[in-house]
Amino acid sequence: MNCEVCQLKELEVEHFEIREVLRCILHTIVFHRALGLVRPKDIDSELFEITYVQCGDAELEKKIEEKIDQFIGWVEKHPNKKSQICLSFYEVKNKQATWFSNKTERLYWEQWYINLNVAQQPKAHFAKSHHSKVVVDPGECALVERSVRRAALEAALREVLFQIIKFVNEKRDHIPPVPNVEGVSFPYEITIPSSSDSSFGMDVIKRMLQTGHPTMLS
Amino acid sequence: MASSQSNIHSESAKIEQIITEFFTKSLHIILESRSPCVSSRNYSGEQILSSPSSSSSSSSSVKPRDKWFNLALRVCPSALENIDLWRQSNQEPMVVDVILIQRPTDLDPVRCSPRRGLARNYSLKERFRNCWNPGQEEYPSEVKREKIIERWIVQYESRKSRDSSSGGKRTGSTSSHSLYKKSIILLRSLYVTVRLLPAYKLFRDLNSSGQIHTFNLDHRVCSFVEPFTRREEAEMQQFGFMPIDTNGGRLSLSVLYHPKLSDVNLESSTPISTQLIPDYVGSPMTDPLKRFPSLPVTTHVSPSSAPFCRRHSWSYDLYGASAPSASPSPSPTYSDSRGFPSNMTSNRLPPTSSPHHPPETPLSSNTSLAHNKNTSFDEYWPSPTFSPSPSPSPPTHVPGDHLSKALLRSESAPVSISAAKLGGSPGLPTTHMLPPSPSLKGTRPGLQIDNVRAPARPADVQTCITAQKILYAGRDEVGNLSGAKISSNSSPRISFSRSSSRLSFQDEFDGSDFACPFAVDDDDLMDLHTRPESFDGKRLLSEPLEPGGLFPIRKSQDAAVGSLVRMLKTAPPLHHDSNSFKLSRASEPENRSKSTKEAEETSDLEVKEVQNTASCSSFTSSRLLMSKTTADALEELQGYREIKELLLRQSSRSQTVANDAHVAQSVSGDTK
Repeated sequence: MNCEVCQLKELEVEHFEIREVLRCILHTIVFHRALGLVRPKDIDSELFEITYVQCGDAELEKKIEEKIDQFIGWVEKHPNKKSQICLSFYEVKNKQATWFSNKTERLYWEQWYINLNVAQQPKAHFAKSHHSKVVVDPGECALVERSVRRAALEAALREVLFQIIKFVNEKRDHIPPVPNVEGVSFPYEITIPSSSDSSFGMDVIKRMLQTGHPTMLS
Repeated sequence: MASSQSNIHSESAKIEQIITEFFTKSLHIILESRSPCVSSRNYSGEQILSSPSSSSSSSSSVKPRDKWFNLALRVCPSALENIDLWRQSNQEPMVVDVILIQRPTDLDPVRCSPRRGLARNYSLKERFRNCWNPGQEEYPSEVKREKIIERWIVQYESRKSRDSSSGGKRTGSTSSHSLYKKSIILLRSLYVTVRLLPAYKLFRDLNSSGQIHTFNLDHRVCSFVEPFTRREEAEMQQFGFMPIDTNGGRLSLSVLYHPKLSDVNLESSTPISTQLIPDYVGSPMTDPLKRFPSLPVTTHVSPSSAPFCRRHSWSYDLYGASAPSASPSPSPTYSDSRGFPSNMTSNRLPPTSSPHHPPETPLSSNTSLAHNKNTSFDEYWPSPTFSPSPSPSPPTHVPGDHLSKALLRSESAPVSISAAKLGGSPGLPTTHMLPPSPSLKGTRPGLQIDNVRAPARPADVQTCITAQKILYAGRDEVGNLSGAKISSNSSPRISFSRSSSRLSFQDEFDGSDFACPFAVDDDDLMDLHTRPESFDGKRLLSEPLEPGGLFPIRKSQDAAVGSLVRMLKTAPPLHHDSNSFKLSRASEPENRSKSTKEAEETSDLEVKEVQNTASCSSFTSSRLLMSKTTADALEELQGYREIKELLLRQSSRSQTVANDAHVAQSVSGDTK
């Protein structure tokens, strides 16, 4: 199977917006790839006038929050950089026999690259955001400017979500047979840039694949 | 994937079924997030039971429909019903138009509100029809603007009808398995898309409770496309999902939508909200609600009529009965909900308009009110609906602005009441209030109050509510309205006694007991009318109370009216100062003062426990009165109620206290 890659449009975000943006995008993608029985959960974004959909899978939500935290941590260490998050779906080779063995091989059949350009902000405001809460920075910026910028981001985010929808509908033939009847059907993986700049990339992913456990089976 | 051409027949049958279900599911998804009556966010009735929370995720059980496409949606009866029609043929397209209905912005918000309530009721009861033919019936006479803001088209073109070519994508036909998987994805996309389109915001706003909207969403499902005008089409944007090719044809889903709906939303909602807000803000009503959050439920229950409940919830449940708060005239709302629309509205509407206008002479107003009440009671009592109570109050051609306001708001806004009581002297409200209290406690007023309350209670009882709950509910209802008035009147002691009396009374209370006192009161009605002074204040008190309390009891209608009249008569003048409170008492008939004292004593003796609970509210109210007019008025009303209850209770129970006998005597003497 070939691996379809989708590069999502880059978003200019402020630090405190990262979490909500990533939530919207990641959950929307996963929802489209959760081909098992799903009870969709509507989530009204805390920051934007956007309602996105979750799969209603606590495990998945937890995982996504973890990854977002990691990513935010990375951003704080590497300010002013464009950053990328990759959500990939894969198949496990020989899954019947060696599903849990380290030697299983992951075949990636789809990868989503989320591109964020984090605007530099005084760290004080967002120092550490909590998992569940979006840190709203009181900011010294003019409110007007901020609202305009926010609206622009919201529109761009909406655009990205539509981009996901389009991609998902155009590329349908590469999807492997559904291994799981329940919820999030395909094993997936969320990759964030590691501490070393060069570490992020397909090579790394592949390396990780070799050794890593399947992140999510259910 | 592998195409199974071997079993063409079975394959085609499967495909056929998948497509059928696809129609169903897609309609379900669309309506779920577009049709307020259906939506998960706005669950009501049976739906609530199945899945209360927002999303379908809430319901734990998997239903057959949920398994289709592995997408569990909330219960959506209307959608499913409609879908069945489509099953008959997959060849026809399914066109779902989402229609935005805008009411003229200049409309009086008050008028709008009741209608909206109606519409909602409609939708609940007749979802099915609503789904197919949404808006028409809801706003029959009103000028409305309808606009199609979204058009969803689900279509399956069989290859026969279509030309042999399979559109540009791969000609290779898709197996049922592949089709199924693709349609799962397509439906997931639909689910997400529906929430991303601008219309979803309207839908969300509609479902946010407590707001009045000048717009509504409707939908229409048909099998043909009603062409847009060019201009309309120019405004629309199209979003097409990639069609799914199958062996026999192609399944496609697309939407035409208005990219800009935000303007509409803002325009409509803002004006109304601003108008409404003034009433609510700072009004005593709001506070009482907060105090007794649980109460509303009980009150709702008593009415038992679904529309009624809805109404309450919409406007704020507790006052629901009175709730018209949003609308100047409570009566219209009631009438609508209860199905007396024509009669009720006609009667009630005039009052609403009148109140705003300069006040008439108090006497005339009082008398007219009383008469109206009588008539209204007679007419409406028979019917279970509340209509009677509202009608009486509105009809009041209430002389003063105060009265009118009080009446109008009476249910909703306490503030108005206070003003009414104040009447001539707004600044002195508290003082004015005080004098009346003694009278209330005294003979007749107490009875009257009791009567008013009593009806409410019985109804509650009927509804199987526990005595305590009933009491509380009564408090709330009365409390808001009467509480302010009463509180001003009564000193803390009085309030205690009243409260205690209420509680005790309620506990003991049976429907039978009440009837007697009411009957007695009836005779007195005429006399009451003659008395101008107290009448205004009392009326105000009584009226607000009526909606909630009186409706349930049919037996004692006349009696209740009589009691109300008495109350009004006996009620102390609003104008008196707090200082004058004592004086006023002295000036008032001896019976009253005695009765009040007695009542206090008895209440203290009997129900100390009760006092504690009740007293708290009364105390607070009394204190507040000093500073706040409206709140005071409400409190006073409550106090009156309590007094009434005590008196009633005492009268009913001659056994308990010697004081009771005295009170009863005084009362009877007054009445006669």
